[in-house]
Amino acid sequence: MKPFAALLLLGIWVSHPLTAFAQTDYEVDLSKIQKEIEKKPYALSGFLEFTPAFLGLDTTSKLYQAQLAGTDVGKTTGQYNFRLRPEASYQKGIARLYVMGDGYLKNDDLGWSGKAKLFQGYLSLKFRPSAAADIGKRVARWGKGYAWNPAAFIDRSKDVTDPQEALEGFSMLSADITKSFAGPLQTLSFTPVILPVTEDLNSAFGKPGHVNVAGKLYGLIWDTDVDFMFLAGASRSARYGLDFSRNIRANSEVHGEWAWLTSGERQATMSGLIGFRYLTADETTFIAEYYRNGPGLDEEEAQNLYKNIGVGGSDNQSLQKLVATQNLMHNYLYLRASKKEPFQILYLTPEISSIINLADHSFQLLPGFTYNPVTNLQLRLRTALLVGAANTEYGEKQTSYRLELRVRYFFQKP
Amino acid sequence: MPCGTYKEKPMVKNSWSRLLLSALMLVSIRASAQDPEEILEKIDRNLAPESFESYRKLINIEPDGKSREYLLFMVKKGRDKVASVFLSPASDKGRATLRLGDNMWLYIPDVGKPIRTTSLQSVVGGVFNNADILRLDYHIEYSVKELKQTGEEYVLDLQARSSNIAYDRLRMTVTKKTLLPTKIECFAASGILIKTLYFKEPKVFEGITRPTVIETDSPLQRGYKSIMVYASIKTREFPDEVFTLTFLPRVETLR
Repeated sequence: MKPFAALLLLGIWVSHPLTAFAQTDYEVDLSKIQKEIEKKPYALSGFLEFTPAFLGLDTTSKLYQAQLAGTDVGKTTGQYNFRLRPEASYQKGIARLYVMGDGYLKNDDLGWSGKAKLFQGYLSLKFRPSAAADIGKRVARWGKGYAWNPAAFIDRSKDVTDPQEALEGFSMLSADITKSFAGPLQTLSFTPVILPVTEDLNSAFGKPGHVNVAGKLYGLIWDTDVDFMFLAGASRSARYGLDFSRNIRANSEVHGEWAWLTSGERQATMSGLIGFRYLTADETTFIAEYYRNGPGLDEEEAQNLYKNIGVGGSDNQSLQKLVATQNLMHNYLYLRASKKEPFQILYLTPEISSIINLADHSFQLLPGFTYNPVTNLQLRLRTALLVGAANTEYGEKQTSYRLELRVRYFFQKP
Repeated sequence: MPCGTYKEKPMVKNSWSRLLLSALMLVSIRASAQDPEEILEKIDRNLAPESFESYRKLINIEPDGKSREYLLFMVKKGRDKVASVFLSPASDKGRATLRLGDNMWLYIPDVGKPIRTTSLQSVVGGVFNNADILRLDYHIEYSVKELKQTGEEYVLDLQARSSNIAYDRLRMTVTKKTLLPTKIECFAASGILIKTLYFKEPKVFEGITRPTVIETDSPLQRGYKSIMVYASIKTREFPDEVFTLTFLPRVETLR
């Protein structure tokens, strides 16, 4: 069955009235709730996911020409994606063990492929609410940006088209020391981190054979969240950052992030971000972020990169950079609007977002909606449209559009 | 007749004495009448201790009868510190919220970091919003504009102390005998009725008797209803550090 047929069938199923779940009245049973709140030391949860996707390929783009020209892949293609992301935890006394796995299978014109990974797995010790330590593989998620986090020094890059998705962590030893105060400074927290890199551990982080030290100082001062962070060590160049977030009114928030990357293998550079979030009275949320990507290319460098694609086959460095880099150039704008429960349809959120390369004016447009028809079932129908002229970032990508339906079923025990 | 004698022999004979008596009478009237702000504070204490932990179930009911349930663990300390975490369903498990006065944050486990949110937003959809779920004491957020008495009930007209509060005005109907609300109507600054909360089914919870069920409907979402059921509420003291962004991902470990 083709992906678009699967999309159609799922669409029909979703729109069918779910009368089997209908109830006419509700009775409160306190004894049943009492049973639900009994705490067990262990917990198992997670989700199963199926995502059929339909892709339109840009046969004139440089990436298509370099990677797919001469193959059986035509102007359109399909994918079936399956994912399982289980989580488990066990708590005893001050100790809590937490594990999150991620496994996916993909079927497309090139056949089946897949991978299973440990996303997170760590032991957490809570000595008291003001002092805790974690050891193992975990994410830190530093920074206040929604789409980008230039100050997330010890995290992997997030997918700008899906910034709220879980990431794979790095193995580290960290602690949280917190103190609350009365007065304008309400909270002060310090998070020291030790992150070793060897050939077998954290090899994706940077150069092996080094122990890196990082830290974050957080304060809530005058109702503003402020963080200062640093990374020192030889696996990556040393870097320093700060971020802030503040509600300027009850329905609006402003945030910013700045990072200084000292010279290592490349020149020292600065990256920064300023963002704004606004909520209207009818629960439409607008997010706007401007991102200055310090290590990005200027226009001349980008033109040279496009010119060199295809020279030297698939090992070509320009080709690899365009495939691997999410933000190729210096200046980007992210815009997003989402409306909660329009037309009184509960659990429906239509949204549209866009990532715009301000230098070459190419962009991605992502309209779609999320709907939870029944408890623990989430559907997301989304299109990605990549628009740009020749020799522009989104104009030279392999895909010109992608339509996907993501079906997630969440589970939990107990 | 003593009464007549009383009338014929005035007790005060000079202006200083008259002034003193007037002052004493005023103090007496003030002492015997209920101060509206004190009534509101007593209502708060009757609804919950100042610092506590509680388990609640939120139920959204749609016009066709379909319902969706959420189980919530919540802790509160003092005047303005509240934190909560969803225990079920699986799709929302681990979502935690923190409120420090007017500041509110939402932590989503996949996102992995707290993001600022507002009291008007709704964490789970339905008629309840963040302000209803992470509510501070009424006397902290509102002042009494007017107190009316109607037979067995007080009707308190409450005005928000700042523009950051979710509802500009509340009309609270309270049973005089128990000093517990039976109904609260919530208005926007424009005067539009946003929603009505109905307090039902009182039950004894470790020292306090309070309604177990809060039902809400809204003229803006006709046919939809949300219910909050208190399964447990008990006094508990917490260190201030529990109510910080750093601790927010660990709130569930307080259970």
